[in-house]
Amino acid sequence: MALKWWLSASALLSSMTILLVLGFLLQSSWPLIQQQGATFIVGTEWYPFESLYGMLPAFIGTVWSVTLALLIALPCGVAAAILCAELLPPRLRSTVRFAMELMAGVPSVVYGLLGMWLLLPLLESQLNLLTGRTLLAAGLLLALMILPTIMVLSEDAIRAVRQSQRETAKNLGIGWDATLWRVLLPQAWPGIRVATLLATGRAMGETVAVMLVVGSIDRIPEPFYNFLQPAQTLTSRIGREMAEASVGSLHWAALLFCGLMLATMAVAISLLTHRKVAAV
Amino acid sequence: MNSQHLLARDTISKGIVWLLAVPALLIPTIVLCYIFWQAAPVLDWGFIVGTTDGAGFGVSDGIFAQLLGSLLLAVMACAIAAPFALGTALYYRTYASPRQQRLLTAMFNMLQGIPPIVFGLCGLVVLVNLFAWGVSLISGAVVLAMVVLPLLVLNTLATLERIPHGYTEAGMALGLGNGAIIGRLWLPRSWLNLLTGVLLAMARALSETAPIMFTATVFSGVVWPDSLFSPVTTLQTHIFYLAQESNDPQVISIAWGSAAVLVLLVASLGVLARLLYKLGED
Repeated sequence: MALKWWLSASALLSSMTILLVLGFLLQSSWPLIQQQGATFIVGTEWYPFESLYGMLPAFIGTVWSVTLALLIALPCGVAAAILCAELLPPRLRSTVRFAMELMAGVPSVVYGLLGMWLLLPLLESQLNLLTGRTLLAAGLLLALMILPTIMVLSEDAIRAVRQSQRETAKNLGIGWDATLWRVLLPQAWPGIRVATLLATGRAMGETVAVMLVVGSIDRIPEPFYNFLQPAQTLTSRIGREMAEASVGSLHWAALLFCGLMLATMAVAISLLTHRKVAAV
Repeated sequence: MNSQHLLARDTISKGIVWLLAVPALLIPTIVLCYIFWQAAPVLDWGFIVGTTDGAGFGVSDGIFAQLLGSLLLAVMACAIAAPFALGTALYYRTYASPRQQRLLTAMFNMLQGIPPIVFGLCGLVVLVNLFAWGVSLISGAVVLAMVVLPLLVLNTLATLERIPHGYTEAGMALGLGNGAIIGRLWLPRSWLNLLTGVLLAMARALSETAPIMFTATVFSGVVWPDSLFSPVTTLQTHIFYLAQESNDPQVISIAWGSAAVLVLLVASLGVLARLLYKLGED
């Protein structure tokens, strides 16, 4: 009986965690919603001292930095996975793979340090910028962080394609190029898709590294595609301002609402991932 | 299409793959080497076992207190999360209906996707303020336990899946109850793999910064926390503060040194987990 009690209680409690997290975030950001309606979500101005809590600049910053990271990391990561799975000799392959697994575990704050003291000076001198703290810096750093994840998971997906498929393709004489595009990648696509979604989630929720390089200025880039300007992401805003906001104030509620937005986006991504996995 | 044409296309495709893949493999390697190159001047035994009094903004001595705080938080987080994770995974395998199983899987996949800082925010609202635990070791440990919980559950589930069905069926045919099946069959067979999961969870807890920033840490002044309710210093936040607040090259080299120690610590946990996993397979 004690056993059953322990098992049921822990299952109940740990599956409730996510509901508790979402519930507490909603409850604590409620004062803001109550006072300002839902309009602040699409507001473009964030001035806590004037009670303006527009979410749009940080939201756009988050979307931009994640997009930039994916644009860089996805082609490179998948290419590295193809190289590893198809072209390298087995011994070299396992070494490279192990190194990549270790890279995937490097703490984000170390990337932050790298971003601040290696990437920013490089960007400033190479692109002749006033400050290296830009959306581009955040995107590059995030790309470096998610690359190992994309590579490792995509390699799993490519290697899971059965050997007989490769042999059949070879016997048909369709060449390496066509085998890659017509056989390997289409079959590995569900796995690569999941890798991409997981990497997106990680990039979106990354805090300390982004916070050190993004510049933390609450405005929408002008024009909107200018990624050489300082910006703000949802996570960097929370990281910068949480310590300053007084408990229970509107500012506090607004920052918790940023957290709620992040959590909602994460849940949406994981639903997308999960459904596709089940369908395959 | 003649064969020469095909060959040319193959070469071009392979060329593109190499062109994209080589930077993807080289840049992380260079970056890793850069960390250790920068850290080399400060890395010695005194750096690791020395403590700083906080007066010199971390410039003076070692990082022993930070190392201790990080390890303490990670171990406590795993100690809190492990019983729940094990219980949940066992429930999934024994009592749960297919519907509950689907629900549990969905819940943990969602939980795994939640950004760590969100747990930090919740910890700040609930543990630090509502429960009035303050910025403390216990708040940070509970927050980190939430971060590693999905990882531990999914890992434990995967371990239990790998136990051959014949074992369980033989046990059931002998009339063993759930308790005996768990205690006599499952745990003796898979405890090494379960330990692997705990080590990976520790590595994960060691590499998180955002969730403990507001809930557990202060910059300096603590070597060994007096109680569960006093704050700690950690390696992760130490690196963060040094990187952010200082321009002094010597301070930055201390940050590089701390980063190298942290990377080594996380990597060695990863390697250890891999070895244990191999051992458990045989």
